[in-house]
Amino acid sequence: MTGGMRLLAVVATAAFAATGCASGSSTSGGSGGTAVNGGILQAGIPGNPDHLDPALSYTNEGWEILEATNNGLLTFKKAAGGAGAQVVPDIASAMPTVTDGGKTYTFHVRPGVKFSSPVNRDVRPSDFKFSIERLFRVDSGGVGFFTGIVGANQYAKTRKGGISGIVADDKKGTITFHLSKPDGTFDDYMATPFAFAMPVGTPDKDISTIPQWRIATGPYRITDYVPHQSITIRRNPTFRSWTPDTPNGHLDGIDVHIGVTPEQAVNETADGQLDWYFESVPPDRLTALKKQYPNQVFPFTRNNTTFFVMNERKYPFNKLAVRQAVNYAIDRNALVKIYGGQGTPTENILPPGFGAAYKPHHLYPHDIAKAKQLIQQAGVEGAAVTVWGHNTEPTPAAVQYLAGVLNQIGLKATVKTFDESVYWDTIASEKGDPQIAFNDWNEDYPEAQDWIDVMLNGEHIVNVGNNDISNTNVPAYNKLIDKAKAMPLGPARDAIWAKLDYLLMKNDAGWAPFMNRQWPKFVSSRLHGLVFNGTYFELFPSMWLSH
Amino acid sequence: MNGSPPIAGGSFRTAWRRLRRNPAAIGSAIVLFLILFACFPGAPLWVSHACHHGPDDQNIQGTVTENGHKVPVVANDGTPIGPGLRACYLLGADANGRDLFVRLLYGGRVSLEVGITSAVLCVLVALLLGILSAYAGGMTDSVISRFLDLIWSFPVYLLAVALATAFAVNGISIGPLHVASTSLAIPIVVISIVYIPYVARPIRGQVLTLRRMEFIEAAIASGYRPTRIMAVELLPNVASMALVFLTLIVATNILTEAALSFLGVGVPLLTPSWGNIIEQGYQTIVTAPWLTVAPGLAIMLTVVSLNVLGDALRDAFDPHARIRIRG
Repeated sequence: MTGGMRLLAVVATAAFAATGCASGSSTSGGSGGTAVNGGILQAGIPGNPDHLDPALSYTNEGWEILEATNNGLLTFKKAAGGAGAQVVPDIASAMPTVTDGGKTYTFHVRPGVKFSSPVNRDVRPSDFKFSIERLFRVDSGGVGFFTGIVGANQYAKTRKGGISGIVADDKKGTITFHLSKPDGTFDDYMATPFAFAMPVGTPDKDISTIPQWRIATGPYRITDYVPHQSITIRRNPTFRSWTPDTPNGHLDGIDVHIGVTPEQAVNETADGQLDWYFESVPPDRLTALKKQYPNQVFPFTRNNTTFFVMNERKYPFNKLAVRQAVNYAIDRNALVKIYGGQGTPTENILPPGFGAAYKPHHLYPHDIAKAKQLIQQAGVEGAAVTVWGHNTEPTPAAVQYLAGVLNQIGLKATVKTFDESVYWDTIASEKGDPQIAFNDWNEDYPEAQDWIDVMLNGEHIVNVGNNDISNTNVPAYNKLIDKAKAMPLGPARDAIWAKLDYLLMKNDAGWAPFMNRQWPKFVSSRLHGLVFNGTYFELFPSMWLSH
Repeated sequence: MNGSPPIAGGSFRTAWRRLRRNPAAIGSAIVLFLILFACFPGAPLWVSHACHHGPDDQNIQGTVTENGHKVPVVANDGTPIGPGLRACYLLGADANGRDLFVRLLYGGRVSLEVGITSAVLCVLVALLLGILSAYAGGMTDSVISRFLDLIWSFPVYLLAVALATAFAVNGISIGPLHVASTSLAIPIVVISIVYIPYVARPIRGQVLTLRRMEFIEAAIASGYRPTRIMAVELLPNVASMALVFLTLIVATNILTEAALSFLGVGVPLLTPSWGNIIEQGYQTIVTAPWLTVAPGLAIMLTVVSLNVLGDALRDAFDPHARIRIRG
């Protein structure tokens, strides 16, 4: 997923379980005594979330909201730190029974979990079958998680007759998934919002702005959504908590104000008009805020890699020497300064949170002379290059830095920026297809596969919703990725990810990673109960307001 | 109505005499000259003799020496160095470690180039449309006037943003002519288009008056071709008006460039212009206000000088005129 905005994933089927991985998460903070119920959280986000439809949303903003309103069979534990990486039952009454050598997952659906009005009925196994099949009918970015189900690929083509590998029995309250091969990450996929329950009959289109189909199962529901203006979230009256991982929530509601800039958010938070803001603190304000409001600034760390991505199919980045030159040319410490020091420099694809899969390497020390030499060797001096980036600060400064560096080493660079609300979809389509672009990635689920397989396995290159934006496609590495995916979690599997990280950067260099970013947050003095989960991000149901 | 041209070459000499007696005009002309000198010959001179780095040179990891101590150009928390009495970074640096003073000088070049070029283009097209429309009359006048009304019916900035956004995608393509989306020609064309009616309509009105005068009727009776009448008889008589408009509209265009660049649809991001510098600096207006204040002052000084000079020109050519540009 892309930072700030999540990109479409075409995640291949995989074989491992996420529990036990180092978490991408986090910290909790803002605890200020005993939680009290009530109050409306005043929240702000810079732009619209991509969608408020669980089948379609693939942004952090969307997932944060949908986590509070909807549920799946499984969920990541609603906790910070390593605990938040654990998959636990949600609407399923227990973890699935896995049989047939890991190819069959059987879930028992918990009775009494209700859809909100106007549906007002219990969630049934057939709703989950419907929801997974709907992903394919609405061209969801999450279909890649479920193509390992028997019959899913056929259904993706025909969209008729249902997915044969999903068997729902409403009488028995069970739903069974038959996979074409074992997949240890299947539990993780079932905990993502793509697998959240939608009632049978939900139309095959984006329901973000169709109030009667924004059906909730969780403690909150979206009562109103005016794009570019506001999202109103209130308690779901039909909700009754069924496990500690589906808490009631403390807030009476959340008013999300759309279009709040980071600077505006700091000022309004300091004035007490805003409680919480989606984006991190503007880099230039952090030092002063830490001094002035030490109890209201929280340094959340995600599993994140921030990088420039080079299109291996486009001149001049179709030449390895040019990609390596860019890696030599950028000064990663300088880029971290552009981000206000809110991160640590890196040359790795994987973030440090992935335990043994993360082995830091230093293949590209900052060396402008070497970069110029490589550009000359490649014979691409003066090649026109357009650097793409989005318009949310400080990304424009970062892409200007890169363009300046490219000009310095002999290319002829210009910059093109897009509104962030359309940027991620644009760079992920063949029509957009930038030469070189800003990118960053936060975890979908806490394992290295979410980076290397999703974004660097050439087998997943597609025309729309392409996460392999560099179009990296090295058959030998693809095979190695597939091998790692088939292995159980553990040191051997991690060792392959670490090896791939090194090999991809050394011999392919489609990325120029430069930072593992942190997200310092500034919140109001009355907001408490901040919990930062690696997948769902900040958990609204845990937040509470002091009066 | 008399039979001789109301404004002739002699009026320029009269106007020049009036201008010389106007201290505000002289003052603003001096300020403009200084700005032009600083931006054009001054910018490269400053770079080659004082600070030795260009407007795009990024020096995030660099240091400057102050009171014997090395001070980072950009601190670890991303805060750039502020203004100080030194050859380099006289007005401080931006987040990318670029010298603000150097960027201000080179940015001024771009802003003035855009402002002046778009004003010249605008006035030329306005002259053509205004004279043709008023002289030809009939269907030609109707078509041109409705076209001008159409442009006039849009709020200036709304139309400018819409055009600039449209051109920003694929540039401008007219037959074999292609202007790249990153070209400076895009904001120049956009800004000139949106102000054409504001110049063309008063010119048309002036030509309508001239058209009824005897010297034009005499020229027609003498069998002169319409193109000759428009070029030789009418054009010189609206030239002073066009000159006044040109001065005033340069100021307006500089402001429009700044506004469009601030909104991200003006001058390409990598090219320094006063508007771009403000756009890149306003995010840090609390912690590094000099990034916004300095280019803002430069714009203000230039625009005020141009307006004062434009008003003085108007008064010099025709003390009773009511020429105004309203955006």
